[in-house]
Amino acid sequence: MTLLQVENVTAGYGFGPDILIGISLTVEEGRTCCIIGPNGAGKSTLLKAICGLLRPRQGRVIYKGEDISHLRPYQTLAKGICFVPQERGLFPDMTVRENLVMGGYILEDRSRLDQEIDRVCEIFPLLKERESQRAKTLSGGEQQMLALGRALILNPELLMVDEPSLGLAPRIAADIFEKIRSFKDFGMTVLLVEQNARKGLACADWGYVLDLGKERIEGPADTILADERIQELYLGKLAAKRKETRS
Amino acid sequence: MHTLQTVILGLALGGVYSLMATGLTLIFGVMRIVNLSHGAFMILGAYLAYFGFTLYNIDPLLSLFIVTPLFFFLGIIIYKSIFPRITGSPRFMEMTILVAFGMALILEGAMGKYFTGVYRSANPSYVTDSIQFGELFIPTGQLYATIVSIVLLGLLWAFLNFSRLGYATRATMQNRDAAQIVGVNVERVSTISYGIGMAMAGASGSLISFLFTFFPNKHWQWIAILVSLIVLGGLGSFVGTLISALSLAVIASLVSNWFGPVWSPLTFFLSLFIVLLFRPQGLFGKKLEEE
Repeated sequence: MTLLQVENVTAGYGFGPDILIGISLTVEEGRTCCIIGPNGAGKSTLLKAICGLLRPRQGRVIYKGEDISHLRPYQTLAKGICFVPQERGLFPDMTVRENLVMGGYILEDRSRLDQEIDRVCEIFPLLKERESQRAKTLSGGEQQMLALGRALILNPELLMVDEPSLGLAPRIAADIFEKIRSFKDFGMTVLLVEQNARKGLACADWGYVLDLGKERIEGPADTILADERIQELYLGKLAAKRKETRS
Repeated sequence: MHTLQTVILGLALGGVYSLMATGLTLIFGVMRIVNLSHGAFMILGAYLAYFGFTLYNIDPLLSLFIVTPLFFFLGIIIYKSIFPRITGSPRFMEMTILVAFGMALILEGAMGKYFTGVYRSANPSYVTDSIQFGELFIPTGQLYATIVSIVLLGLLWAFLNFSRLGYATRATMQNRDAAQIVGVNVERVSTISYGIGMAMAGASGSLISFLFTFFPNKHWQWIAILVSLIVLGGLGSFVGTLISALSLAVIASLVSNWFGPVWSPLTFFLSLFIVLLFRPQGLFGKKLEEE
């Protein structure tokens, strides 16, 4: 079943130029999808336009058959869309626990909130240990876990994660990707944006290639990984070849 | 005068400055609006309390309970009717400064026209009393004003730390985008915060009515001091605001005691100048990120 449909969306910031130009893509329910593409291709802008942080200038975003293009973030959240932004979006002077509480801000029922926090702490035991520490004192990897954990509090149907590996050491990034891959087991649909195309595609089952604000290619993640053109353009095959010849 | 005595009076005054400046800090922290009309609204609050006292014999400390909620709703009306039109504009901060400056000018003109430029001060019985502790004393009016300020600041603290809306307010101050992402309606938080900020201006005004003499143009002196306090503390930091308000009030009292009252306003601007030389982000501020 189709969960999310982006139709011809054009978007940009303030009075600035269009960053996304008439992009369309479809996300099927239960899939872990990864959007790859070079810097400035509009990957983050697309996620912001979906969750309502940015209003599309043209086009529509359709979620479960309903037009959500003009909803504000707190409204898309209530529909089941959670977003983890590139800068993690934590509250630096709040404790880990307070950040998790904020993750359940839209829940009216406090006892349910406590249960959800316990459930998330089982997925990320580290968050329990660091409960009373301020978010700004956590390391990069811990902050990313907190950001993911906070998004999981609401048990979203669609989780959007922007550049989870940004600024992380490869080993820690690998941990994070493993966690993201495991979200599939909760029946969650994941839409991932990743600069590190190889790692991102490796943990996804569907891939999209975005370039210059347009969607160019899509398909099963392993097909894209194997695609010659993509390899040359985004997976650093040329760079790798050059390195080989030099050594 | 004894130095300890001066310090005590300075601290008491600092409590009132904290109340005045915290309203500005809240509004700046949540909305990135430097509310230059804060001082003008304080003076308006002072006039309301003053006329309440002279015309209807209502004690300024009692009219505080009327003026404060009145200003809360006034703030909400002002915010709703002006700011949503310009939020999201790339020139938001510049526009808000002009809007606030304009409001201050309009209010100053209106007060000058209707209340005249006569120097005013309400004089309930307690303004001439003082309470003696051995060799030390504190004017009763000042003591009441400081207690009211502490209570109101305590209420604000409790609101920010224990209520759901307070959590949302702190979250918005720390990371506005993230607050939206977790489902905070930041427009609503902004409206309420603007109301609270204005309510604090109203409460401060009621205290000004009997603590100081005032007239319509007086708000420029107040806003100059208050802006230097919040910049010194680090824009958007409550702790910074409290510390700079208390310490500068004490220093200004000492300066006034040693060199004469003429020099005390200079304390604020000179300390601002010195601190900004070494710490451009203020005492407790974070460097503003480019957005």
